Amino acid sequence: MSSSRPLDVRPSLADAQPTFLEPLVRSKRVIVCAGAGGVGKTTTAAALGLASALAGRRTLVLTIDPARRLAEAMGIPEASRAPAPVPREKLTMLGVPVHGELDAWMLSPEVVFETMVRRLAGDEARVQAILANRLYQHLSKIVAGMQEYTAAEALYSLSTEGKYDLVVLDTPPSRNALAFLEAPRKLSMFLDERVIGVFLPAGGGQKKGAFVRAASDLAERVFTKAFGEGFYKDLQDFLGAFSGMFGGMRAHAEAVRRLLSSDEAAFVLVTSPEPAALAEAGFFQEKITQLGLPFEGYVLNRSWAYTRGFGGPEEIVLPPAAEEHQRVALRKLGQLADGERWRAQRDRDLLARLRMDAARHSLGAAARGDGGGAAIATPHLGGAVEDLAGLAELARNLVHLDNA
Amino acid sequence: MKSLLPLRAVLVTGKGGVGKTTVAASLARFAAQCGKRVLVAEIADEDATTSALADALGVAKITDEPWEIAPNLRVVALAPALGHQRFLRDVLPMKVLADAAMRAGAIRRFLAAAPTFPEMGVLYRLLDLVRTKRRDGAVEHEMIIVDLPATGHALALAQIPASLLRVIPSGPIAAAVREGLELLQDPVRTGAVVVTLPETLPVSEALELVQGIEQHSIPLAQVFLNRVPFDPFSDEERVFVRSLLDGERPPMLGARTLERIDRARVALERLSQAVSVPVGVLQDVWLEGPRLAEEMASLMAVEEVHQ
Ligand SMILES: Nc1ncnc2c1ncn2[C@@H]1O[C@H](COP(=O)(O)OP(=O)(O)OP(=O)(O)O)[C@@H](O)[C@H]1O
Ligand SMILES: Nc1ncnc2c1ncn2[C@@H]1O[C@H](COP(=O)(O)OP(=O)(O)OP(=O)(O)O)[C@@H](O)[C@H]1O
Ligand SMILES: [Mg+2]
Ligand SMILES: [Mg+2]
Repeated sequence: MSSSRPLDVRPSLADAQPTFLEPLVRSKRVIVCAGAGGVGKTTTAAALGLASALAGRRTLVLTIDPARRLAEAMGIPEASRAPAPVPREKLTMLGVPVHGELDAWMLSPEVVFETMVRRLAGDEARVQAILANRLYQHLSKIVAGMQEYTAAEALYSLSTEGKYDLVVLDTPPSRNALAFLEAPRKLSMFLDERVIGVFLPAGGGQKKGAFVRAASDLAERVFTKAFGEGFYKDLQDFLGAFSGMFGGMRAHAEAVRRLLSSDEAAFVLVTSPEPAALAEAGFFQEKITQLGLPFEGYVLNRSWAYTRGFGGPEEIVLPPAAEEHQRVALRKLGQLADGERWRAQRDRDLLARLRMDAARHSLGAAARGDGGGAAIATPHLGGAVEDLAGLAELARNLVHLDNA
Repeated sequence: MKSLLPLRAVLVTGKGGVGKTTVAASLARFAAQCGKRVLVAEIADEDATTSALADALGVAKITDEPWEIAPNLRVVALAPALGHQRFLRDVLPMKVLADAAMRAGAIRRFLAAAPTFPEMGVLYRLLDLVRTKRRDGAVEHEMIIVDLPATGHALALAQIPASLLRVIPSGPIAAAVREGLELLQDPVRTGAVVVTLPETLPVSEALELVQGIEQHSIPLAQVFLNRVPFDPFSDEERVFVRSLLDGERPPMLGARTLERIDRARVALERLSQAVSVPVGVLQDVWLEGPRLAEEMASLMAVEEVHQ
């Protein structure tokens, strides 16, 4: 083959320049990875966690529904009751300094709830009463709609207990990827005394007004009829036992909100080059900015943008004696190469667009005042993303632009 | 895809972004073209301002009541509140009591916000739509295709009825839950469709999902390997291209696409061996929006002819 003319198509930036994520993994207390379904939130969260450990920080990746292989690669036990450390020898192998730590936890609603009950219920008898309630047992094992509640709650307790310098939060795959931000609001809607009060048994010191009493009567008739006598009693017991904790739960929800709005937090939007994912990322960006949350920038994951140093099949010259099928095969390879060039161009254009958008909206850009937008592209790693080495490569790509 | 046509409820599930909505929309178009009266449904989300299913079908909005968007094809958003209302109307002695209950702010907010109640509402609404009859006694919707949310949520949804039965073993709710569970677990009426991508990890995840579905006794009907890249090479061309690329430095443009094609072949092989239901291959198509689902529906039809 002749000399390969390098196709310089990587964004014109000096080698090994730190990205906008580099200062974030060094200084923030919470980084939230949000984005559309399947774009790589969990993978990016894990890689950012690793980058932070590499920078010498004690890091926790709080992940939701990770691929089993990723969990295995990181050495996360499947149903653990507490965050588990990635084994030291693995970290050393990857170059994590001694004071750097990486823990990972697959969010378990059951454990989060139990911890919360133990913390807020006060005395042990109360704790036991709640844990033994049939409804509690049902609810604590249900994942649907609970991931959001528990993500917020776990974030609160883990980021305040002082064991970690940084918590990287992966968000659940839901249509509204910011659902966990709304969860505390929804929870407090449910925990509203005016709602709960209707279901609580009369007496017990609290007098119900006539209006509430009418609603209570209706609720009792409807629920007893629909659920059966026993259930309504269970429900009342459950709400009664929990009611003392509502104040504490609301306080947590507010604390989480404050933490996430503070400059100790950072929101990173992950997207793929797909139009639908991009549209959703744009939508999240607006929502995050609207809510006054610290949006920092975009990660264009699984991109084909980097092709510097690649050769093109057209440089291959077949000997005159080459067979017809060989010529056909080379021509077809050329077509695949053209497809990749097209994708590279598309992704670089996208990156430019995301940079412009981020320059307008990201906090970091405003603070730096250099107008440089915060968006980076991480390469499509194919099957290589499945082990710790692949994750480490992704981590390097996230914080430094050159992975040569 | 033929095997799906006799089903009453088709539950489309898979990890985030694999193409569940696209597959649900395409299947719906395909089945409608086959002459089935089809209802395609998504789970209503009051917080969402956009609907992926509406985009995939090229309609402006999806409402809580079914409406016809093409011959034989209707869409609906499964709204929990409607499920609650229908349920209360079914079990309470008087309709007025049910309506009064739904009007009471406290009860409505409780049902909307208390964990698992929205999901039960959705399930009851589905049951309600499955049961809906026309004047002549025939079922209104012969086939209901549900675009489920990403894996975690879908399995969790499946987990709720059984768990609820432990809390509420008897009474009208229990009866309704049992009926819902029977529908979900009946292989004659219901089938889950798992969608995945032709890459290593997504296939592993799909196989985990298949296991989870079986654990919940929900019948698996079909697996779709979506976005399979077009493979232009014959066997001997492939061998030659490989020999060109192997050991080639610097890396060559086109090689990553070839690897992707190879991974897709391995993915198909692995899936076919691991599951006992048909594995459908859906091509990666250079289209988006409503034209994507239309194109995929016609590809499904072509495939039928060839089989
Ligand atoms: N840079 C990359 N290169 C190659 N594959 C990737 C890359 N990033 C992610 N993937 C793969 O894409 C799939 C989806 O990634 P991931 O699970 O991180 O997405 P997610 O956004 O968390 O998905 P969900 O919304 O379902 O939670 C996984 O199989 C993962 O291995
Ligand atoms: N066969 C295909 N060819 C080309 N593009 C496709 C194909 N299938 C899906 N897509 C694209 O992939 C993206 C994700 O598809 P879709 O929205 O159907 O996934 P989903 O599984 O429903 O995602 P979510 O988990 O977010 O609900 C969309 O942009 C869609 O246009
Ligand atoms: Mg994830
Ligand atoms: Mg979808």
